[in-house]
Amino acid sequence: MAYFVDRPNKMTWWERSYLPEIIRGMFITSRHFFVNLFGFVPFFLGQKKERPIFTVYYPEEMVPIPVAYRGRPVLAINEHNRPNCVACGLCEAACPAYCIDIIPGENTGKQNEVERWPKEFTIDYAVCIFCGNCEEACPEEAIFMSDDYEIPMLDRKEMKFNLEQLSVPIEKLKDRVEFTRKMYGKWNY
Amino acid sequence: MILELTITLVKILFIIGITVGFFAPVLTWVERKQSAIMQDRVGANRADIMGFTALGLFHAIADAIKMFTKEDFVPQGANRFLHTLSPIIAVIPAILTFAVVPFGGQYELWGTKVNLVISDLDVGLLFVFAIASIATYGYVISGWASNNNWSLLGSMRTASQMISYEVTMGLTIIGVLMVYGSMKLTEIGAAQEDFLSWGFFMQPLGFFMFLAASIAENKRIPFDAPEAESELVAGYFTEYSGLKFGMFFMAEFIEMVTIGAIVTILFFGAWHIPFLSAATILSWLDFLGANGANLVLMLIHIAVFFAKVIFFIWFQMTIRWTLPRFRYDQIMKLGWKILLPLSLANILVTGLVILAVH
Repeated sequence: MAYFVDRPNKMTWWERSYLPEIIRGMFITSRHFFVNLFGFVPFFLGQKKERPIFTVYYPEEMVPIPVAYRGRPVLAINEHNRPNCVACGLCEAACPAYCIDIIPGENTGKQNEVERWPKEFTIDYAVCIFCGNCEEACPEEAIFMSDDYEIPMLDRKEMKFNLEQLSVPIEKLKDRVEFTRKMYGKWNY
Repeated sequence: MILELTITLVKILFIIGITVGFFAPVLTWVERKQSAIMQDRVGANRADIMGFTALGLFHAIADAIKMFTKEDFVPQGANRFLHTLSPIIAVIPAILTFAVVPFGGQYELWGTKVNLVISDLDVGLLFVFAIASIATYGYVISGWASNNNWSLLGSMRTASQMISYEVTMGLTIIGVLMVYGSMKLTEIGAAQEDFLSWGFFMQPLGFFMFLAASIAENKRIPFDAPEAESELVAGYFTEYSGLKFGMFFMAEFIEMVTIGAIVTILFFGAWHIPFLSAATILSWLDFLGANGANLVLMLIHIAVFFAKVIFFIWFQMTIRWTLPRFRYDQIMKLGWKILLPLSLANILVTGLVILAVH
């Protein structure tokens, strides 16, 4: 059987008839309906850039991502077209998930202008936890968290990115470089 | 003879085309899109053909393909024959009701009288109720044949709810019959040519009660206790999949159109335009000749009728996305303790007023 709750507020007969609230509710929903319906018209005619509804049509549009966002880690390529990385292995050590794998190359003579460079640099995004410790540990401003979060794949093996796949020109990471300098600079601690 | 047969066939094809072919698929889209717009969302817009989304209209096609290709599952221990039969019993009455629903008046075209109703029964209104009650069997059998407790509970609720609200519906209609003095839907429609003689002004209380009772008959929110998702999984069609589920789904949407049509005919002036009689339109269209003017008038009347039907469909959808579900005991209380006495009082008052006027 139905269980009745004692309600402290006594309603009038008109309120108990449920009609005023029905009318009010219908008025509110119809107002939303018509405002949104006719709000769309100038958008479809191309007179307005913004829709009245703030839903983002995700694969076609993306929300702007704040600079503090930690997307997938990438390697910065400097203006000499080489990675900033010196293969010191600090990020490898700092990584709590052990997803970074570096094979260093060392200068024995004059093959290269730099002393040390990564021969191979692999990040397994299937293992990475996006903590940003590698970025914090890096002394050379070589590894950065980008704003890219679209890394789903059909095969886990493909989620191991090598040096070329990881490389991003440093111009694209300017904001993040600025941010990390502020964030992890030595006066900040 | 041949001519009459052809006209009747064309009318049948038109009705089936517009209910099953147009309203049923389009209403699935309308329901999604309207609920989305009312709730400040975007709604269905992902299905596309070669990059065209047409505001999500292709979702109706995608739905149809999905329902045709899904597995038709019959649960273990279920009665196979009745399990298959019940969706048919549910969907046929919904379409059959349209046999007596007039979607326009009578017109004389090239010497032939065209009456825009498939079968102009003398007991049209009774026929509507008789056929609509048959649908109850479909829902009851579906719950019993599914061998599932939730389905059985849902169908029991359906039976009690539909029977309770049919009483109110029938008694509400008596007021309309008293006012117009006819059971022929065509005559009731024709009697409402004058704006102030619309059923809405003659029977304002009757209109609201009829609308509430017919939404309860259709088992839509706020009266959707028989298929309450949060209580009974999906009610009587829990165990249905594929095209059988599609038939229950279609029955609901076609019944919405039927309710819209019946309400339009009984209370909202059928195919008449307020303050604009057919004679006035005919005098405006005089330059087309008698036959041409009649033809255009017929098309205008059909368009006006379906515009009103679409308005009532919109109204039902707005109610569906505004109000929360009633508790089961509240539904019964509303049906027996409020609507039934009110409808009886409505008959009494209508009778007294008619007595006073004459």
